[in-house]
Order: sequence, then C-alpha cells, then structure tokens
Amino acid sequence: MTNEYELIIKPKKGLFSIDIHEMLEYKELLFFLALRQIQIRYKQTVMGASWAMLQPFFTMIVFTLIFGGLAKMPSEGIPYPLFSYSGLLLWTYFANSVGQSGNSMVGNASFISKIYFPRLFIPSSVCLAGLVDYGIAMIILVLMMVYYMFVPNMSIIILPLVVFVTFILASGMGYWLSAICVKYRDIQFILPFFISLLMFTTPVIYPPSMVGEQYQWLLTLNPMTGLIDAHRACLLGHQPVDFATLAVSIAISALIFVTGIIYLKNTEKYFADLI
Amino acid sequence: MIIGKNISKMFRIPSERRNTLFEAVISFVKGGRRYDEFWALKNVSFDVKEGEIFGITGPNGSGKTTLLEIIADIINPDEGELIVNGRITPILALGVGFNLELTARENVFLYGALMGVKRVKMEDKYEEVFEFAELKRFENMKLKNFSSGMNARLAFSTAIATEPNILLLDEVLAVGDIEFQRKCMAEINRVNKNGTTIVFVSHSIEAVRDLCERAMFLDNGEVIAIGAVDEVVNTYLNSMAE
Repeated sequence: MTNEYELIIKPKKGLFSIDIHEMLEYKELLFFLALRQIQIRYKQTVMGASWAMLQPFFTMIVFTLIFGGLAKMPSEGIPYPLFSYSGLLLWTYFANSVGQSGNSMVGNASFISKIYFPRLFIPSSVCLAGLVDYGIAMIILVLMMVYYMFVPNMSIIILPLVVFVTFILASGMGYWLSAICVKYRDIQFILPFFISLLMFTTPVIYPPSMVGEQYQWLLTLNPMTGLIDAHRACLLGHQPVDFATLAVSIAISALIFVTGIIYLKNTEKYFADLI
Repeated sequence: MIIGKNISKMFRIPSERRNTLFEAVISFVKGGRRYDEFWALKNVSFDVKEGEIFGITGPNGSGKTTLLEIIADIINPDEGELIVNGRITPILALGVGFNLELTARENVFLYGALMGVKRVKMEDKYEEVFEFAELKRFENMKLKNFSSGMNARLAFSTAIATEPNILLLDEVLAVGDIEFQRKCMAEINRVNKNGTTIVFVSHSIEAVRDLCERAMFLDNGEVIAIGAVDEVVNTYLNSMAE
C-alpha cells in the first residue's frame, strides 16, 4: 500500500486549503463534465447546435432595429449589425456561463451529497462547455464579416487571450455565485435579472465613447468593458486595441477568479449539509 | 487503513426554516435562536485495519450513514480527526453520478472520472464491467431506458471496476434480485481477498455477521460496542431485547 493517497479529514480551518495535487488527479473530470454537458445539450434538442447561433443572432436583429434603425446609435464607423453582433457574441458566452454556472451547484445536488470530487469543477465545466456555443456562434460573425468585407488585421492574435480572460472571469463569478446559491436559494431568481441589467451597463450594443467623460472610470471598472471592446477591436480591426482598459479587465478578472476559488473552497465543506 | 479519533458531527436543525437571503435578513433583524443542535455523532473512535471487512451497524438514525459520509469526505466533522490511507470508492447509493441521457458506455467513463480514475484504466476494465453486469447487449442504450435492476447492476460493477483501496458500502445490496445479491457478495469477498479494505454499513445484523470480521455498533451517535463481529452482534441483540 502506498502513502500516495493518504488523506486526513478534520474540521477545516484556514483560508488556503487548495489542493493542487488533487486538482491534477482529477483533471480528466473537468473535461468529462464539460463534454457531458455538450452531449446532453445537443442530443436533446431538435435544433441542436443552431441554438447557439440563434440567441445572439436574434438579439442582434432586435437591437439593430431599435438602436441602429430608430435611435441611430453611433457604432465606431462600422455597420451597426456587425458592431452589435461582435459585442453580443462574447456577451452571450459570458452571460450564459455566469447564469448556468451560478445554478450549477444546486442543480447537481444529487451527486454532491453522495460522492466527493473537487466541487470547483462543476462551475468550471459549465464555462468550458459554453466555449463550444461561442465557437458555433462565431460562424455568423465570420459570415457577416465576409458580407461587409471586413478583414481582421494582426491584432487578431490577442483573440485567444480575450476569450480566455472572459472564461476566467465567468468561472470566477460562477464560483462565487454557485457557492452563495447553495446557502441562499433566492439568488437563483435574482441572477437572470441581474445579468440582463448588467448588459446595459456594459458597452455591448453601444460604444464606450457614448458614456460621459466623468463616468469613464466606472465603465472601466466593469471587467467586461475592456473585454468586449478588445474583442471587437481585434476581430474587426477598425480601431487599435485599448490595452490599458484591457489590462484593468485582466486584473479584475484574476482577482474575482482567485477570491472565488478561496470562497468556494472555504464553503464547500457545508455544501452536503445544506443541499 | 482508516483511523478515526473522537469524531463528532453536529447538524443544525433550523427552528424556522431559512432558505433565502430575504429570510436570513429578517431573522437576523429579529435576532434570537436560529437553530437546534443535533449531534449525529458523539466522540466516535474506531480503526479499520488494512484488508479487513469492517461492519458498522445500528438502528435507524444511529449515525451510520453520517459516519460513512465523513469517511468519504462528503461532509466534514465538527470535531476529531480521521486518517484515511488509500483511495476510496464510496457506494452510498447505486448509480450516483450516472446521467440518464447518456448511454451505459458513456456513463461508465463518467463514473470513472468522478472517482478520479483515468480513462485509459477504465478502458482496460470496460469488458469486465459489462460482463459482470450482464449488460453487454445494452452498452449503447441510454440509461433512461434501463430498469432499476439493470441500473443497479451497472452501477455496482462500475464501482468495483475503479479498483479502490477502500470500498464503502451503504445498504446497497438491498436492490437487485437474490441471484445478483449473491453475486455481489461473492465479488465483495473476491476484491477483499485481493487486498481491498471494505467498510460495510447495514442495519441488517445478519448481513454484517455473514460478511464482516470486525464490527462497530452505533446507537444515538455513540459507539456501544466495537470488536470481533460475534461480540458486537451479541451486544446489539441484547440491547434490542431490552
């Protein structure tokens, strides 16, 4: 018998009880849980993968009619449909990931109370699986770029970074919200409402320049501002990427991610008692 | 090998049920007592030796399952310490972690991943799982179309296939027909011969006597007797007779 698996269970105290060794041991599980969600989502629906495109696409149509057509929203010199879709594409990924990962712990109550595995992987896997939807919805953007004849420039190389940071941010928020949801179930009902409000405080369908000079700092503190902006700039190449704002987004995302892990790790010992 | 030292576990039973933030705020403002304390386990000390079959028995509500959940690291004790040496597969209920929308085949790998077992290793054991469960014909069927007996057979053989050092069993053999129960018992004995330590929880005194070498009798969260299975069984029967 090896000592490799020795485990000491006692009343948990202390802020940092993060077990890296355990994470590595279970790393296949993260991909498995993500794969399982993708399989289930696409097996059960008639429309399958096209759902992933329809949500941002129809949102874009509605906003184009209202804001682009009626309100004549400025759009940084690019056609409004392309402008709003390039924002909505990343926003939809973020909003769905946060919404679903927030509910994920309560939703998987049946196995949380029966087996042990790193709970962190439940919200993470939701955000990971969402990347597939993002990829599918990207097809529409590519088609739109062909139609409007937009060719991305060199700044496209930062796209993976932008998507990765969004994943980190969504996971971090997922850790916080899913752990809080276990204790306070009403968060589940507030969450969708909160996320849709958040969209209007983020420059998804309007350019950041529309917000008054005195409130720019507030806009910058919203980590999605820099990400949406950089996402649009690096794909369409219509303006240089605002690295200062992006850096703030990265810092805030990292902060939310790390504190989320600490919070979840410190509350997970109660999950089975409460769920 | 498992060593438990003075383990206690308290459950808080809310005097008034609070499940939402709103209710939490209200009762915080009102103040006063928020819950009753219930000690499900009180100062439980025991040891399970490597390679043995250890039974935990006692009437309903005596804390058997709570103790098993602590050993499996699902819930955390409030006091005491537990040292577990070896990889554990808990079978607290059959088919946990299985997803009804996936096929039997996919579920075997999913379960393996949940137990921290590499896919490569599960692939090696794959044929054995279906052979033991006698479900080879149904490997590509979705689990939602399985009968509860088929589900239990698949779950048991998948759990065994993860080759744990320690296997935790909680009254699971009450499912399935007599034939399969007998087969499970034989399989439990076989993996035990190969070195797997087994912790078996049951309120059925006969099952514990047949299977275990040593046992512990819990009542109201306290250890009443621990030691050789015959002594423990006698203490149990005497306490029931009173």
